[in-house]
This record gives sequence, C-alpha cells and structure tokens, in this order.
Amino acid sequence: MTVTTALGDLAALRRQQAFAAADEAALDGLIAVRPPERVPRPDPVWDDARVLVHEVVGERYRRLVLATDTIATTALAGQFLMITVPPTGGERILLPRPMAIHRRHPDQGTVEVIYGSAGRGTTALTDVLVGESLLVTGPLGRGFEFPDAALPTETGPEAPRTALMIGRGVGVCAIMGSVEDAARLGIAATVVLSGRSPANLIGLADCAELGATVIPVTDDDGSSALPALGERLRGLFAWAPPDVILACGAGVLARLAADLGAEWGAPVQVSLEAHMACGLGYCHGCAAPVATDPAVEGPLVCVDGPVFDAVLPDRAAAGREKPAG
Amino acid sequence: MTIAPPQPSMDARRAFFDARPAASVAVDLSVRIGSLTLANPVMPASGCFGPSLGRLIPVAELGAVVTKTVFGTPRGGNAAHRLTELRAGMVNSVGIPSRGAAGYLASQHPLYLALGVPVIVSVGGHRSGEYAPVVRGLRGAGDAYELNVSCPNLDRHGTDIGSDPDAIGKVVHAVRLETDKPLIVKLPVLVSSIADCAQAAEAAGADAVCVANSIPALPLTAATRSPILGNVIGGLSGPNIRPVVLRLVWLASRAVDIPVIACGGIETADDALDYFSVGAHAVQVGTASFGRPFAMVEIVRALQERCEGVAAADITELIELWRA
Ligand SMILES: Cc1cc2nc3c(=O)[nH]c(=O)nc-3n(C[C@H](O)[C@H](O)[C@H](O)COP(=O)(O)OP(=O)(O)OC[C@H]3O[C@@H](n4cnc5c(N)ncnc54)[C@H](O)[C@@H]3O)c2cc1C
Ligand SMILES: Cc1cc2nc3c(=O)[nH]c(=O)nc-3n(C[C@H](O)[C@H](O)[C@H](O)COP(=O)(O)O)c2cc1C
Ligand code: FES
Repeated sequence: MTVTTALGDLAALRRQQAFAAADEAALDGLIAVRPPERVPRPDPVWDDARVLVHEVVGERYRRLVLATDTIATTALAGQFLMITVPPTGGERILLPRPMAIHRRHPDQGTVEVIYGSAGRGTTALTDVLVGESLLVTGPLGRGFEFPDAALPTETGPEAPRTALMIGRGVGVCAIMGSVEDAARLGIAATVVLSGRSPANLIGLADCAELGATVIPVTDDDGSSALPALGERLRGLFAWAPPDVILACGAGVLARLAADLGAEWGAPVQVSLEAHMACGLGYCHGCAAPVATDPAVEGPLVCVDGPVFDAVLPDRAAAGREKPAG
Repeated sequence: MTIAPPQPSMDARRAFFDARPAASVAVDLSVRIGSLTLANPVMPASGCFGPSLGRLIPVAELGAVVTKTVFGTPRGGNAAHRLTELRAGMVNSVGIPSRGAAGYLASQHPLYLALGVPVIVSVGGHRSGEYAPVVRGLRGAGDAYELNVSCPNLDRHGTDIGSDPDAIGKVVHAVRLETDKPLIVKLPVLVSSIADCAQAAEAAGADAVCVANSIPALPLTAATRSPILGNVIGGLSGPNIRPVVLRLVWLASRAVDIPVIACGGIETADDALDYFSVGAHAVQVGTASFGRPFAMVEIVRALQERCEGVAAADITELIELWRA
C-alpha cells in the first residue's frame, strides 16, 4: 500500500507502521471471501447487556461477562459484537468497539469478552461497573466454520478429526468459539496460545475446561518466534496433519497457517481486524486492505469476514487457472 | 461466575421498543421537500445508513432514508484505515466506494424500496458535468435526489464543487433537465459564503439544501504524530461539529426560501430542536447511529411527545411556545 501524504516527514510513520506493514505484507494476496455458509447467520440484535463480571485477567487484559440471552444462544464461533462504551468515567466515546465473542454460555444466557486497553475507547471501557448495562449489537460477521472434511462422519470407526488453532493475544478470543465447537463435535483440537509472557496468555483455563491440547508459546522465552514455531508444528504434525487450521491475532501467524495448510493440504481460515463503525456492512469503513483493482472495493471485514479463507497467493492463482469442470 | 439476575426477556424488551407510540391526530410532523411530503423531518445522513440497519430498528418510522452517494462509474474507495475516532470526534475517509448507477439499481435499490419510506438517492461526481448522467442512469429510481457537491475527501484533497456557486448552479441546472423529482443540494462546511452557495442552488431550481457535510480534518496518532488514515485527510463528524453547522444552517435559512435540512452532530431531539430553532425544516443523523442504532427513531418519537406534551400542532408551534 502506498501512503500518499501531504506531510514531509514519513520516517516516524514508517517506523511505527513497520510491524503493521509486516502483518499486512504477510496477508497480501492471502485472503479470499469464504463460500456461502452451511448454517445461516443468526439475525443481529441490539441489547442492553448487564455486566455480571468485569475483572482483570493476567497483566494486560480484562474479562467481561455480559447477560445477553439472544446473542448467547445464537452466536456462531468467531462472530463478534459491537460494544458501545458508556460515559461512565466521563469520557464520551462515539464509535462502538468491535470485540470477539470469547465464550458463549447459552445455558446462562451470557457471553464472555476479553479485551486489552489500547486507546481511549478500551481505556474508558475499564470504568464500567458490574451491574451497569452495556449496549451491544450482535452477533455479527462471518465466523469460523469447520469444513466438511474436518467433521466426524457418522458411519464407521475412523481416526478422530483434528484441528490446529493458532491465536495470539486477544486474537485467541476469536478462535475460542471453535474450541467450544470442537469439544461439542468430538474434534481433537490443538491450540497454540501465543503471548508476550506466561501471565499474558489468554485461554489456558478455557482450553483446559474444553479438553483441548494447548501449546503455550511466549515472546519471553522465544518460543513464539518464527520460523521456530513453524518447525515445531511441522514436527508435531508430521505423521498426522490436522484436517483444518484456524488462526487469529497476527498477519504473520495467518501466513504461517497458510504455509502449513499448503504443505499439509489442510484448509485454512483466518480472522482479521479492521477499524469499524457500523459492523453491519453499510458504512464501508472496514474494507480489507487487499490489493485489488482501484474500481473494486476490498471485502468488508464486518460482513464478508472477519473470517476469511487463507490460501497462498501462488496456489490461489493456480486454482484460478484451472480449467472449469 | 456470578449468576445472572432475572431479566426481562429479549422479546419483552423488543416489544417495548417496537411498540409505536399511540397515534395522535393533533400533531403534524410532516415536512415538504418540493413535491415530496415526508411524514416527519428525521432521516439518516448519506453514508451513515444502509438497509441492513433495518434489521435493528423500525425504519418505517423515519421520514425518509438517504442512500450512500452513488457515482456514475464504479470506484473502490480509499485505503485502510478508513475511519477513526479522536477526542474531537469521528473522522472518516471512506472515499465513497460505489458500484455505479447500474450497480446501485441492481443490488441496492430493491433493498431500499422494501423499507417502505421515501428513498432519497445521493448522487456524486468529480466535475459539474458528472451529476446529470448519474441521475439519468438511475432511470427514475428514488423519490428525490440529494446532490453531494460537498464530499471533502475525494481526489482533490479538500476542494469541492460545492464551494463554488457557479459550479453548484451548473450541476443543478443540468440535473433539473433530467428529472422533475425534488433536488436537494448538500453543501460543504468550508465555503466563503454559505448564503451565496444556497442561493445558487435555489436559483438553479433546487427544492432544498442540506447543510452540511463533514469537516475536512487530519487525524494523527498520539505516539508518533503520523497520519492514522490511509488517505491522510478525512471528514470530521459527530457532536463537536454541531455549533459550526448551527451557524451555517442559521445563515443559509435566512438566505433562501426553500427548506434547509440540517446535518451535523445531531444525537437527540434537543439537538434537532436547536437546528429547527435557527431555521431548519428537517434533520439528518449520521455518526450518532453507529453508537446508538436507534437514535433516529428515538428523535422522531421524542419530537412527537414534546409536541403532544405542550399541545403544539407542529414543531414551529413548539418552538414558538417555548420562546414565548
Ligand atoms: C472483529 C474484531 C474482533 C476484535 N476482538 C477483540 C477482542 O476480543 N479483544 C480485544 O481486546 N480487541 C479486539 N479487537 C480489537 C479492538 O476492536 C480494538 O483494540 C479497539 O477497537 C481499539 O479501540 P481503542 O479505543 O482502544 O483505540 P483507539 O485508538 O482510541 O481507537 C480509535 C478508533 O480506531 C479503531 N481501532 C483502533 N485499533 C483497532 C484494532 N486493532 N481493530 C479494530 N479497530 C481498531 C477503534 O475501534 C476506534 O474506532 C477486535 C477487532 C475486530 C475488528
Ligand atoms: C462513515 C461516513 C460515511 C459518509 N459518507 C457520505 C456519503 O457517501 N455522502 C455524503 O454526502 N456524506 C457522507 N458522509 C457525511 C454525512 O452524511 C454527514 O454529512 C456528516 O457525517 C455530518 O453529520 P453527523 O455529525 O451527524 O455525522 C459520511 C459520513 C460518515 C461518518
Ligand atoms: S464496519 Fe461498517 S461496513 Fe464494516
């Protein structure tokens, strides 16, 4: 992406955006809108969701448990909410903030969200008290979906289906719904939880509760670094590659997932982030920065995603060149 | 985990929200834009509404809906990030992606029609000659056209057709030859004389002016002072622009006899009444709908209730009673 700017000095911009650029470069050409879903998406609703729990998790995150019956019972794995931040602490926040639905508890009529405080909105969100209500809209977006090849068959004994899921930071939240689905469907899930330090790994307790195998990796001990993590996964799955790979939290991890998927012949789905205002597909604020014809808009992350197929660019091209039929 | 306290069911809450207030024959909120009569003066701002919002709110209660601006040929829009929020307000540089008039007719218009309220199609162009062909391309679809001569964040970095009274006149003249339907001219904030611009629109045959679009702005990150938006420049919107636009609406409504539609930072019925009290005839709601999807419906209901509360027949009478 070229940044056209009226400002002379781009050095600071370049430095600050180096990380984002690496992520974006890793995603370039990787993303494709998923084919129509098997299960129709639930209708979104808005709800005044009462805050039942609001607590610190690890060193950098907070967990919200929200009472919202309809969303808890209808949300699909990988869908998200738009949370309107109330002026509790005196700060006026105009735009709602997109947040993944980390856990669904349909029996209790609750969902969980885990968030990190980044800027004004998520900082103001920390002021919200238990017992207050948050205006939430959801469930929104296209979530993760196990492809047919990853679903257990009803006939005959077969080796159990397996899924590899890779999440980093709060990106883990987007994949936890699929860990729930895997537990329900009898798919063996191996979940890579990546974070800065052991105290900042999200999802350890959830994965334990759901019976998933966890591979915790951190920046502290270097285990989250690439390409070492890739080699470790290649070793682990050398004899029995997973039936599907899901990833969220960093472009470079999406790229790793796509590389592994290409080697193993496994489909790959990744969840993306974008700045959003409506979450419903009408403001056009969230178009994915994928290289396209200037006359054609990139897919909208809020309705075409946030979950996309990830296919290596050369493979995607090869797929397109195949003669029809 | 804490146990959920008993709550009204979602259905109960929805029924409460969906219940229309008891109809009152006494209050008349209707407003005329040329030959078109709207049941009430509240509608969305272009780009801040789409038929999908109809899944969350009873759109049929609005006076009209306004589409995202339609251009003649397909355009992809600007690079990410396309929007952000600062303490000063929301800034967007969506850049108006459009599938062109034909694309709008095929994929969007049927969804707008199904909403059951008048559809005002917003029309855009880069040169004064580009508007009439878009209206022709719409082949009569829509109940009125809003000519967006004021989008500040397109290719020319902040200068618009709408700041030049001659260019406004040319656009309206050309479109008037294509259609008898009501024409609304949506003016920009950055003009040397809003009165001259509004009068140019009126003289060329416009039925109303809309004041105003977002304000050109350049949001920087706090940490490195680098541009947040892919396009660097975007349009500021939200409650903080209200006093700026109030002045423009006041000036415009003194300059022309056609109705003035106010647009800028409206979040509540009180904000709308501020604009009505300086001469606006109708209001458009943009940024507020993102955080509170039902903001427009609440404004319609509150205006009705305010009038009923003091037995005012319409908003003009409400404002007079209040001033008395
Ligand atoms: C589908 C989706 C799911 C998400 N799930 C989670 C989650 O489970 N937990 C979590 O902590 N975060 C999640 N995020 C990221 C979260 O939305 C941002 O961190 C948050 O919006 C930043 O707001 P702020 O007020 O802290 O930052 P500010 O810098 O004040 O925000 C300014 C504007 O930019 C937008 N923005 C800034 N950074 C991001 C970002 N990374 N992604 C999207 N918008 C951004 C804000 O929404 C706001 O409109 C998710 C994002 C998306 C798109
Ligand atoms: C995301 C976004 C998209 C917009 N798109 C358009 C557009 O396509 N055409 C137009 O005339 N105005 C557009 N606008 C401007 C609004 O219609 C409105 O004039 C402006 O936001 C001020 O009103 P507000 O403060 O209520 O938002 C857009 C505004 C936003 C925030
Ligand atoms: S957030 Fe509005 S279109 Fe995606």
